[in-house]
Order: sequence, then structure tokens, then C-alpha cells
Amino acid sequence: MRRIIISILIALTGVVLLGSAVLATGSGSSVTRPRLERSLATTFANLYVEQARILGRHDLTPESLHAEAMCDKHGPDVPDVGPGGDWVCLVGWDDPERPLPPEGYGKFELNVHSNDCYTVSGPSKLTGFLTITDAQGREVTNPVFEFDGCFDPHGDDSPTGVSFPSLLSLTSTSLAPDDQGRVGVQVSCGPGSGGCSGTITARASGQDLGTVPFDVAEQATATLDVPTAVPAGASEMTFEVTTTTTTGMGPAAAVSIVVQNP
Amino acid sequence: MTTVQTPAAAPTVEPDHVPRARPGALAALRWEVRKLRAQRRARAVLLVSLLAPVVIVVVIHGQSRPPKDTLFGRFATENGFALALLVLGFASQWVLPLLTAIVAGDLFASEDQHGTWKTVLTRSTSRTRLFWAKTITACGFATLVLVVLATSTILSSMLVVGHQPLTGLSGQTIAAGEALRLVAGSWATMLPPTLAFTAVAILLSVWSRNPAVGIAAPVVLGMVMQLVGALGGVEAVRPFLVTTSFESWHGLFTEPAFTSPLVEGLLVSAIWCGVSLTAAFVLLRRRDITGG
Repeated sequence: MRRIIISILIALTGVVLLGSAVLATGSGSSVTRPRLERSLATTFANLYVEQARILGRHDLTPESLHAEAMCDKHGPDVPDVGPGGDWVCLVGWDDPERPLPPEGYGKFELNVHSNDCYTVSGPSKLTGFLTITDAQGREVTNPVFEFDGCFDPHGDDSPTGVSFPSLLSLTSTSLAPDDQGRVGVQVSCGPGSGGCSGTITARASGQDLGTVPFDVAEQATATLDVPTAVPAGASEMTFEVTTTTTTGMGPAAAVSIVVQNP
Repeated sequence: MTTVQTPAAAPTVEPDHVPRARPGALAALRWEVRKLRAQRRARAVLLVSLLAPVVIVVVIHGQSRPPKDTLFGRFATENGFALALLVLGFASQWVLPLLTAIVAGDLFASEDQHGTWKTVLTRSTSRTRLFWAKTITACGFATLVLVVLATSTILSSMLVVGHQPLTGLSGQTIAAGEALRLVAGSWATMLPPTLAFTAVAILLSVWSRNPAVGIAAPVVLGMVMQLVGALGGVEAVRPFLVTTSFESWHGLFTEPAFTSPLVEGLLVSAIWCGVSLTAAFVLLRRRDITGG
């Protein structure tokens, strides 16, 4: 009995000592933003070239792609360190045959594990779906739809300096005017540096309904109230977004949203 | 069970320290190996490590959807090297600790179970020699199991699935010859942590005097370490866990490759081995066997 008690005490002491050592050294995670950004850009470049090769193209090399990534963990208020399924990375690259949208990047979602490896889901609009048709007409797995990568836990941890603007998008699918005929339009500001700020101009039936300024933090949503009532009988409204040059980007063309008349 | 003592020996001296003709260390080792070879359990472990990979490889190869939640799993149905690495990741979770503990956790405790400590120690050999004979046997068996498991996995996955070029963890393409070298190397990196688990099993076997504890506790400990290592927030503890070195092969498959986790893993495994074996040795030296 005494032997068991002594052994348990020794084990408990060991656990407590180890626990306090952990608390004393802080979180100390090897999963950091610069390591992830460097690793993801390299892995993506290699796999994108592999995809191009499957599709029968031989004009790309990982170097010519100039891939760079900007990563963020769980919104602007959370430090960009540590494992989790809430990492979002914006990756930009140069493919002369398949240019990127005006914002200049695609959004990748990452699940980063504590063992310094990660699983990436690519933006299927830009990189394709689960399978692609190769040059010989066979259905093969798309290497950039989903992929894994690992990085050195002692790798270069100096900031990469890569930054991309947030993208403002209108998320309302239809607008229902209230008693006074006014509408509010929902906008969301995607990940990126600095959030989104600028103005949004609303029109309906050729009539200017006013301009609303906005300033939305990155990875946040807001409802912007249009100051003037929607003219009766208007079936749709168009919104034109103008962003300040440094913070965020909006949709390139005016966006039309259906108005639900009561 | 009387001890043959020379008249010069004082009665207060421990029987171990009595000078007398004893069989050499090799004889003790030979005897342990012979006992192990006679065990049905040890033979079963070797047979399982030879045949189970073949079954697993055939079953996974027959799947229509690859097991994507494990590293290299997404290529496992179409690439033999990826499949060998998938089995490696699975084996390191609990299979390797279990396979080594089945023998190492039982070696010392079985003497308790059969009440044979007095017989072996008074008639044939010293505690120190017996300890090293048993430890070397357990480590040798662990190495043998690992070699059998690795060879069986690599050969069967190459024969069943094939040897296509492998996509590495930096997205680079690794040629088949290089991939084979890296896969074999990755299996080899399992040896230090497996030996660390062997040492832990020996310690638990000596301490608990119970084969069930010696076999089950290392597996449970391995799973707990795995769980703690996967948690966010307590990552500072990761380098000290044996299970972290089970994952140090990842660095071989990136470009440029990184080997610092391999070196750290080797060090940590050596520390676990050293501490466990020292504690086991001290416990065995100080144990009173006259009652057992």
C-alpha cells in the first residue's frame, strides 16, 4: 500500500512540475503566421504547376508563378499563432492564362495541426473541383482542390510582409422595404489587411437614393441603411461600391439586388 | 531454495555479492531469448506484424474513397509509398507501443506471476545480468517486430498498389527511387520512440509485478501523450513526449527537408529510455525477493 501511495505521489509531482514548466514557458507554439505563409506559398506553387502539367500545359514553373500568401487566424482580434481549423490564407499568383479576379488573390481555408502540418481547401472557383480532366481525357484527382503540407517548426519566423486588401461583398440576396420604404443592405468584409472602408451608392429606377459611408472591420458584417425611400414599384436596386485606395476592395461592377415589394 | 555460499561470505552480505562461479552474461541472454522463442505470444506478435500489413494494404487499396484525414491518406489508394506512410502513421498511434509492450511488459512481471525470481536469481545469475539480459531481449524483439512490420508494409504496398512518384509535403514530386529511400528511412525513425516505449513497459513491468499493467499501461500512456500532443495551448509540452518523435519523419518529405525534430526525438527517446531503465534497475536491485 505504501509503495502505491509513494508511486502515485511521485507521478503527481512529475505532472505538476511538467505542468508548471509548460505554464512558465507560455504557449510557445511553433505554428506561426510567417512559417505558414512561406510554407503554403511553396506548396501551392508546386501543386499548381503539377495541376497545369496534368492539364497539358508546360509553360509554368513554381518560380514563374510568384505565389505569395497572407494568413490570418480567426479574425483580427485573435493573435495569429497556434493550431486550429480557423486559419484563412489569401494566396496570390501569376498565371498568364488564367488571371485572378481584380482583388488579386484566392481565399484558402486551412486546418493547421499542432504537429506543424496542415490541410488546405482551395477556392474551387479559381483552382477547380475535386477532379479534373487531364490532357488524355481521363478524370483525375485535382491536386490543388485539397492538399496537405508541413513546415519546419524551427523555420524562418520573420514576417513575410505580404498583404492583400479585404474584399467587400454585398451579402443580401433580396431587399424588403420597411413601412417607410427604406431598405438596409448587408455587406461583409472578407479577410485581408486593414478592413474595408469607402462609400456605397444606391440607385433604383434610375433615381439616386443617396450615398452611405462604411467602415467595416475585416471578417465582419454590417447592415448599411439607405437614407432615401425606395420608389414604389421599383423591382431592383443597384449598388456601386467605391473604396478608399488603401483599405479594401469592392465588386468591380455595380451589383443588382431584387426588391421584394409587399 | 538454499543458496550455495562459500564460507568466507558474511551472512549480512546480499547473496548477489557473493563471489562464485556464475554463467556469463551471454548465457543469461541466450536463456531469455530461448524463453521468448518458446512463447506463443511472441510468435503471434511476429506473425501479426508480418500478415496484418498485407491485409490492411489490400483492404485500403480496395476502398473507393481514400482516407483523407491522415497525412498521405489522400494518395493511399493510388500510390504505394503513400499507403506505406499511411500505415506508418496508424502504427505509430498505438500499434507499435502495443506490439513492444506485449513482450517487454511481461518479461519481468512473468517471473512474479510464476514465482520464479528466487529460482533464477539464486541458482543461475545475478540481478544485474538478468536485468540486462531481459532488457536486451525486449529491445531486440522490438527492433525485430519493427523491421518485420516495415518490410511487410513497404513490400506489400509496393506490390499491391505500385511505385508511382510521390507528392511530398511541400507539393514537390519525389521520384520513386528517392521515395522508397525516404519511406524506409521514415520507418527507421520509429525505432527510438519504440525503444522508449519498450523501456517504459519494462519499468511498469518491474514496478507493478503484473503483466497486465506492463502491457496495457504503455499503450494507454501512448494514447494520453497523443491526446496531449494534439491539444492546442499546451504545445510547450510536445517536445517532451515520446509520441512527438513518432511524427518527426514529416520533415523528410518537405523541400527543403528539415531534420531538427528527428534529432530532438532521438534525444527525448534516449532520455525516456535512460530514466525508465534506471528506475527499473534500481527497483529491481532493491526488491526483496525472498518473500515472493
